[in-house]
Amino acid sequence: MDLAKQIIRVRLGQMMVNEKYRNGEFKVPIHLALGHEAIAVAVDSMMHDNDRLVLTHRNIHYNLARAKTLKPEIDEYMLLEDGLAKGKLGSMNLANEAKGIVYTSSILGNNLSVAAGVALSKRVKKEDGMVIVVTGDGAMEEGSFYESLAFLKSNNLPLLVIIENNEWSLATRIHERRCPINIKAFAEALDVNYELFSSNDVYEYVERLSGLREFVLKNKTPLCLEVKLTTLGYWRQKSEEFPDGKFINYHAGPAPNVSLQHGPVIETDQSDPVFVINKCFDEKIMEAVSRDILVELKSELP
Amino acid sequence: MKYVEFINSAVKAKVSQEEGIVLFGQNISAGSCLSGLTRNLNVGKDGLIINTPNCENTLCGVGFGLMMSGTNSIFFMKQQDFLLLGIDQLVNTYNFMRRKEPDASFTIMAIVVDSGYEGPQSCLNSFADFCSIARVPGFAITNKADAEQILNSELVSPGFRLLGVSQRLFKTDIIELPTVFASQDCSIFQYSSGKDATVVCLNFSFPYGVELGDKLRKRGMEPSLFSVNALTPVRWDKIIDDLSRSKKLVVIDDCKSVHCSRDNFLMHVHESCSLKKKVIIKRDLSADLVSPSLDRLEIDYDEVVAHLT
Repeated sequence: MDLAKQIIRVRLGQMMVNEKYRNGEFKVPIHLALGHEAIAVAVDSMMHDNDRLVLTHRNIHYNLARAKTLKPEIDEYMLLEDGLAKGKLGSMNLANEAKGIVYTSSILGNNLSVAAGVALSKRVKKEDGMVIVVTGDGAMEEGSFYESLAFLKSNNLPLLVIIENNEWSLATRIHERRCPINIKAFAEALDVNYELFSSNDVYEYVERLSGLREFVLKNKTPLCLEVKLTTLGYWRQKSEEFPDGKFINYHAGPAPNVSLQHGPVIETDQSDPVFVINKCFDEKIMEAVSRDILVELKSELP
Repeated sequence: MKYVEFINSAVKAKVSQEEGIVLFGQNISAGSCLSGLTRNLNVGKDGLIINTPNCENTLCGVGFGLMMSGTNSIFFMKQQDFLLLGIDQLVNTYNFMRRKEPDASFTIMAIVVDSGYEGPQSCLNSFADFCSIARVPGFAITNKADAEQILNSELVSPGFRLLGVSQRLFKTDIIELPTVFASQDCSIFQYSSGKDATVVCLNFSFPYGVELGDKLRKRGMEPSLFSVNALTPVRWDKIIDDLSRSKKLVVIDDCKSVHCSRDNFLMHVHESCSLKKKVIIKRDLSADLVSPSLDRLEIDYDEVVAHLT
């Protein structure tokens, strides 16, 4: 039930951020990660004290999962002194060293090599722990993705590369912008192992992540973990060609069609980790859990 | 001793004392070892020397990752123009890092391609432009005195900076002149003090200034000779004071940078001093600066001397 509560907490926390965002309370651009909660909560659950996490511009889910509180994150978005980074980082670079999030980059592909340096430092200092870097299907198009993997493998550095694949980069799908990239074949070409997560089942993710952590550390190797997911909160772009509106996946800004009034579930299918977790428990229990968590989160804020 | 031999020996001496340091770069321990710059390096206990793949952007990021984790490192680079591939890291990652006082050191030591024959794509004698893009501290090494101080205080020191060595000077004899002043931050070095002219050398121009100083002394003049080794604007008080007395200024700058501290210096001169004589020796940026040709300032020393006397 702890993992379920965490999923709900990260979801409702984001929905509260979304409400404030819609009210124009933030100056900084924020990339919500509705639909990304399962991998974030699983990573948080798997991380050991000496593990380090390196994030990208879409980081709210990991930051909320690691911090376990909402107010410091909202204060950071408001650039207040009480913010998670004293109002110095805003959203797209938000790190939290106290919770092992040592670096967050707003530049696609930038963070992979920095994570490699963090992993190399662990070797020099003979420190325990694994480095985890999060990237996406857009960032893996950058040359730095290839470069960094080659460097990591050449130096036998243990590092888990999580590729959150939501199929979209800004307002274009993968097939609209590039040829297919077979990440498994790509990784294997560099003698790097590959795994795929796609169920949005946090329990499965936690169990498998623990095994991957052990594998990476034991074999001193990078590993590519592709996580197929959906960034929830789409909108429709009307044009002459699409009078009813062309489907555009959520990228950044307030999610116009997501509201706290409808509860934490956004989509009633496997694309929504909250829907997936709710199926594991009694409906009434989950409704009560959601209500309690929402009250807790609201009590954090003035 | 040649310029590159001296710098190599100074680097060797410094890094051999450093425990847990990581030295990395392409071919730094193979082949010519970057034309001798990194030959026979050894590091202290728990240190690493890594011959890396060709991935400059990644290597810049690796250095910042090491730095944020408390591990000192030096990235040696065969040609500074390769650093263009790492600009994202120099700007974006460094901007993230500079929020806090760093515990560890990250230095990129690169050979500035200022010999002139590498072809258009390597014709980038523009160290100051690299530094200006994100206000990165940078230091040019031109002779024995500045090499000793810069390598001692900047090669391994908390923070990030670029160090540049001149390819054109590699096989020349290292200039050995005593200093009469050296700023603690390694920005300005003074090698002679005189009342008749103030000679200010920037980038890798110091050998030109030494030659001009010799010619001025032969004509009975006593010049002050300065080298500005920092690539970003610095405090100019020391030079301005000297210039207030001499009233005669010679600036020599061999860089091809657009954003350089020379202009900042001249603005301060304009605001602070009334000059009797002024000679500015610099590149004509409208000329062909990319076709292979000797990348050397053509200076008519006799004309400069005649102008000052």
